[in-house]
Amino acid sequence: MSLKTARALTIAYLALMTISVTWPGLLPFARIEPLILGLPFSMAWIAGWVAGSVVVLYLLDRVERRHRQEGDH
Amino acid sequence: MEQWLLVSIIIAGYLLLTLTIGLMAGRRSSDSVAGFVAADRSFGLLVMYFVTGASVFSAFAFLGGPGWAYSRGAAAFYILAYGALGMAPFYWMGPRAASLGRKHGFVTQAQLVVGRFPSNGLSSLIALVSLVAFVPYITLQMRGAGIVIEAVTDGHVPLWLGAAVAYGIVIAYVLSAGAMAVGWTNTFQGIFMVVIAWALGLYLPFRLYGGVRPMFERIATERPDLLTLPGLTATGDPWTWGAYSSLIIVSAVGLMMWPHLFMKAFTAKDDETLRRTVILFPTFQLFLIPIFLIGFSGVLFAGQPPAPDFILPFMILETGLPAIVVGLFCAGALSASMSTGDALLHASASVVVQDGVTKYLDLDDRAQRRLMRGIVLITGGIAYYFALDPDSSLVQLLASAYGIISQLAPPVVAAMYWKRATTTGAISGLVAGTATAFFFFLNPELKLLDLHEGVLGLMVHIPTLVAVSLLTPEQDEGHLRGFFS
Repeated sequence: MSLKTARALTIAYLALMTISVTWPGLLPFARIEPLILGLPFSMAWIAGWVAGSVVVLYLLDRVERRHRQEGDH
Repeated sequence: MEQWLLVSIIIAGYLLLTLTIGLMAGRRSSDSVAGFVAADRSFGLLVMYFVTGASVFSAFAFLGGPGWAYSRGAAAFYILAYGALGMAPFYWMGPRAASLGRKHGFVTQAQLVVGRFPSNGLSSLIALVSLVAFVPYITLQMRGAGIVIEAVTDGHVPLWLGAAVAYGIVIAYVLSAGAMAVGWTNTFQGIFMVVIAWALGLYLPFRLYGGVRPMFERIATERPDLLTLPGLTATGDPWTWGAYSSLIIVSAVGLMMWPHLFMKAFTAKDDETLRRTVILFPTFQLFLIPIFLIGFSGVLFAGQPPAPDFILPFMILETGLPAIVVGLFCAGALSASMSTGDALLHASASVVVQDGVTKYLDLDDRAQRRLMRGIVLITGGIAYYFALDPDSSLVQLLASAYGIISQLAPPVVAAMYWKRATTTGAISGLVAGTATAFFFFLNPELKLLDLHEGVLGLMVHIPTLVAVSLLTPEQDEGHLRGFFS
């Protein structure tokens, strides 16, 4: 994947996350049931986006690192 | 032996250990300004990770977090949402700031901004804005430490004494060792906090309700209003979506603008360490889940703490836990308070001296270091004075501190990324944005859609910065080349 695509996808994820954890994107998910792993749905929804950001940033870093190493040569 | 005495001994032992780690760390740091402020740019991944995490998770998260979950319910989820959003852009901004820092010798973010927009006035303004935001934040940490100690020792160690002892220790190691001590004590305290939070967050729901799911099932039946977003206000009325959403935005924008966090870009050993810290940061965020569980476990519990912020010590004392657990919890909460408080005190001194005083006075390295130590004492003293005032409404002050600190984001971003920005534009934007935020802080009833005053400030700040920059002559090409390349 090119550096540009990776950065665009990361920014897209963060933008989508911003919308999904605030009004109005949060509205459809602002509910208690069903409980996920015992947690209210809205809390698990937000925690899921946070956990997802670790994966997205990790994948971005892999692309960025490969690109930096290639740039060295 | 009486329980409170045993608890006090455990806390004393813990404080002694922190002091020892702090003072030992100082022996490895060089006796220079770069050593005091930026720990000779030597922090590795482990230290960076915990320094950042432990400085973000303050007494507000450890006591305020459960307090919010307990009294305001789902409103507390905002704390979970903003951290990852605020930190992620630092994957790019951090290394960029670091490389500019290495090249020009910057150790504070005002130096970075002023390196691009040369103006002593701008530098002092940033120092002032930072300091105004810092004092209520430090006050909150001290009060948190005092509250915890007073609660668990059954009032035998009053708030004023508890806060004084805990912060006497913090000041001792910040004075002697600067950034290096902050790094090592936060590593120790960060690990400690995570363990304590998960242990208690799972223990309480299981002990009282037989598990996390049964607990939420019961709250959903008996108090559904509490679990419905955007939660409740402090008085128990439904909160507004405008206030909930804009608090997430302003906290995300403001998060990395706190000088004690931004300056991590200058303390990191290399860019790789910075990037790894950003990637791992949201894992620290998830530690808010057990923090919320602690607060929710108190919702259906018989009896009430004197104030929502006391819910954590209250639950621990009421559920008849052994003294050793109470002592360890107290140490965990103290960690949260002290690990943020030390970073704040340290950063406030660095900022005032580097960005304020030295712009007008020519001081040598030793005089600067001595002055920084003096300012640590003065700032600590002012915050302590406010911490003893039982009527100080700290949560409101803290929310406003975020409104003010978030105004540093536009000039910092413009300095690093927007070549057409001008000094006049940066100053006009900062003045207009800060004034707007301050105006709505004083007149909350005028706020549009109940939006946070910091967001309203940014809505004035950014257009002003852009418009004035475009109306004023471009910066000199030679200056831009010197700054960027």
